[in-house]
Amino acid sequence: MFLQIKGIKKHYGEGDSRIDVLNGIDLELEKGEICVLLGPSGSGKSTLLNIIGGIDDADSGYIAINGDKTADMNEKSLTLYRRKHLGYIFQMYNLIPNLNIKENIEVGAYLSDNPLDVDDILKTLGLYEHRHKLPNQLSGGQQQRTAIGRAIVKNPDILLCDEPTGALDFRTSKDILKLIEDVNKKYGNTIIMVTHNDAIKNMADRVVKLRDGVIRKNYLNEEKTSAADLDW
Amino acid sequence: MRNPLNKRFKKEIKSEFGKYLVLFLFMTGMIAIVSGVNVAGTSMKKAFDEAFTKYNTEDGNFEIDHDASDATISSIESEGITIYENFYIEEETNFDTTMRIFKNREEVNTICLMEGEFPSSPEEIAIDRMHADNNKLQVGDEIVIKDKTFTITGLVAFPDYSTLYQSPSDMMFDALKFGIGIVTSEGFDSFDNSYIHYSYSWKYDTPPANDKEAKEMSETLLKRLSTKVMLEQYIPAYANQAIHFAGNDIGRDGQIFTIFLYLVVVIIAFIFAITTSNTLAKESTAIGTLRASGYTKGEIIRHYMTIPLIVTLVSALVGNIFGYTLMEDFAANLYYNSYSLTTYVLIFNSDAFIKTTVIPVIIMLLINFFILSSKLKLSPLRFIRRDINKKQRKKAIRLNTKIKIMKRFKIRILFQNMPNYITIVIGVFLATVIMLFGSGMKPLMENYQDIIVENTICEYQYVLKAPIPTNNDGAEAYSVASLKTPERRGKSESINLYGIAPDSQYIDLNFEKNTVYISKAYAEKYKIEAGDTIKLESEYGDETYEFKVNGIYEFPSAVCVFMDIHMLNETFGYEEGYFNGYYSNEEITDIDGKLIATTITTDDYTKTSRQMIHSMGDFMTLFLVVGVIMYMLIIFLLSKIIVEKNAQSISMIKILGYTRKEINNLYIITTAFVVIASLGISIPLVSFVLKYIFDFAFSGFSGWLPFYVPGSVYIKTFLLGLVSYAVIAFMQIKQVRKIPMEDALKNVE
Repeated sequence: MFLQIKGIKKHYGEGDSRIDVLNGIDLELEKGEICVLLGPSGSGKSTLLNIIGGIDDADSGYIAINGDKTADMNEKSLTLYRRKHLGYIFQMYNLIPNLNIKENIEVGAYLSDNPLDVDDILKTLGLYEHRHKLPNQLSGGQQQRTAIGRAIVKNPDILLCDEPTGALDFRTSKDILKLIEDVNKKYGNTIIMVTHNDAIKNMADRVVKLRDGVIRKNYLNEEKTSAADLDW
Repeated sequence: MRNPLNKRFKKEIKSEFGKYLVLFLFMTGMIAIVSGVNVAGTSMKKAFDEAFTKYNTEDGNFEIDHDASDATISSIESEGITIYENFYIEEETNFDTTMRIFKNREEVNTICLMEGEFPSSPEEIAIDRMHADNNKLQVGDEIVIKDKTFTITGLVAFPDYSTLYQSPSDMMFDALKFGIGIVTSEGFDSFDNSYIHYSYSWKYDTPPANDKEAKEMSETLLKRLSTKVMLEQYIPAYANQAIHFAGNDIGRDGQIFTIFLYLVVVIIAFIFAITTSNTLAKESTAIGTLRASGYTKGEIIRHYMTIPLIVTLVSALVGNIFGYTLMEDFAANLYYNSYSLTTYVLIFNSDAFIKTTVIPVIIMLLINFFILSSKLKLSPLRFIRRDINKKQRKKAIRLNTKIKIMKRFKIRILFQNMPNYITIVIGVFLATVIMLFGSGMKPLMENYQDIIVENTICEYQYVLKAPIPTNNDGAEAYSVASLKTPERRGKSESINLYGIAPDSQYIDLNFEKNTVYISKAYAEKYKIEAGDTIKLESEYGDETYEFKVNGIYEFPSAVCVFMDIHMLNETFGYEEGYFNGYYSNEEITDIDGKLIATTITTDDYTKTSRQMIHSMGDFMTLFLVVGVIMYMLIIFLLSKIIVEKNAQSISMIKILGYTRKEINNLYIITTAFVVIASLGISIPLVSFVLKYIFDFAFSGFSGWLPFYVPGSVYIKTFLLGLVSYAVIAFMQIKQVRKIPMEDALKNVE
């Protein structure tokens, strides 16, 4: 099993204000799988994504990639884990505002020993002509493409996408989803995508539904459609 | 209803307590020092000015070679002046100093008794208070002056010696090795084997209205006196440094400190403005919403200006309290440590309050208002959209893509934080001025002492009243005359011209006909080179003299001219074979003391540096401490803002997998580069500026003190800068480490 998530529990606050966000999550993903995590606000899907991404700790349980457990890693190893295995795409892009588009992608490429060609990615993402612009000179969709470029340029094993279309309009959202799907096909990355847009589940290999910190449904999508055919 | 936004102030101060505390402490400290110097200075200056009337200070004095007869006195007084005997003798003491002794005065230049009593018997003496302090003497102590024992009955201040200049042509006063005292008439007469200086003070019957008139009157008087007596010295009060130097210096210090305070306030105002700009960026959506809801631009500006103004105002008030209490004493002691000032009374004055409170608050207000109103010109919508950077729509500066990404990243950080870095560069420059001044002055003086000792001509140099022979084998006769330079910036300088014996064993120069050598001090001060012609004027007449300079003689101790003794005697109309001085490496003991006008030893040449080290020592330490604090404060606050401004990006690159080292390399090393480059550029630049200021300042003094700061001082200053920055960098590394990765996950929209 490529990615193993076992018995993850997480709470915030203490006493009366204690909130149990995750109550024992077990999940296994194969290499190259697209997994869509669905659930209402507060269901714990972003928390789970952050724990997988090594930017938050679990109270108990573990995450293992190819058998390496993140819980056993110190800060330095966790940094290397993120560097080696993970790519991150956020709802608000989180680009470095003072770097231009190409440089933002190069920031990702720097982390890999064998990065993909930055100019190729810029062309693939339709950003080549904008490569000298600063992020705030681009539309939201273009910025999100840049964020995708930054995430995929190091060809990570796992691409973590936290509401990647949350701030985008319908058409741009579909473009972005299509791009993520193409990346998956081209590079074979495992993709875990958090969303509360139910329609997106149709492009997934696996659909996981969370509510109150518990997996309510976990199934393989037998009727997977292309992102281009999604509608909502 | 009170503006509800005001409730934020408490929270803001609480959340940034450390930052506001250091700014408050630094400004309070600075204002306390400046207020103390101003208050003490103003009070002492008032007492100093009043002393002219209170102690009936002379309008000038002159010295002749004998006791003037009644007829001569009447003739002189017919020129519209009254003259008063002010004879003195100068003798060595048993504590290795020179004491100038007067009879007690009753009419002119009367004495301020600061402690004890005036002498009433021939064995009693009252001496200058500061000279006593410097030599750890107290009332009741016994001292020996030329084999006579005196009991100190009082410590006094002389209105005509508020600064202890031994000679009007001295570059610097010497309160360590030169003192003055008064004895009774009988006590004075007991020095029957001493050379008496027949000095007379004068007062105009109709006092001049101003300095210009004083100058005209003194020039007229000089011409008249020259026809009546053989003047050995003539010094009107307005040109007498012993009378005026302290007063000028006290006033000047206050001005320099005040200007320095304003520069510091400007820098702190910019730090506040940069901080506020950063806050505006963070709170832009809230500001946009408030503006859209009807809050005026003025209300928002007032809101963001309030804390800087409160911090400045509170600092000014607290600083003034310390200034009027602790620092006033400190500053007064600094002056009392340098000058023989009369007693003073502390005066509360509005001028110091305006300089240290009103003007800093106005500076803070104007700079912050200007920057805030410029930033808040944008529409509410731009704020809501976080589109507040006026320049951001322009294209990013293109960087060569061959440069590695990490380097380009650092260059981008440099561009992004340019206002911070520019302020750092300016701050480091100013701090370096203060640090170099604080750490460089003592080595400069010590170096001066060393080169004087290295280049000393002889152990004892005598100036005689007449050509008296000696049996001392090593003594070599010379002749000396005095001229003055043409006026420069309203001042001229007395220059000694030495006629040297052929094949001199003390001065190794080959004189060519009708040419002279000038001392290195002369060459450096007046920028004269070999081949130039110098022009000098007679001190008490209308003659002018021109000399062709054959070369520069390595003699840094005095601004003087050397020529062949025959040439000097001929030039000044002396007889062939005339001389009036000796160079000797041994003390000459076979000449009557009455016939020796002056004895100059290496000690006399080093008094400038000695006195400056003594009177500026505390100031130098203060400068160094203030410089380092200012340096650290500016870099700390501005680099902290840079990290805060980039918290989101730092958080993001942490998520991406950048290691601590890589992140520090981006955000700490970039600042380190700016700091180190600023230091590296500032040190030579400051050295150049200080040399210029130093040369300019000393060109107004008699004599010359070459600007020389040893390389070790530059290295020490650089290392001090590095070590101070290392402390800040360590704090920054901790700050960067503390930025949580969750910051990147926050919805910044």
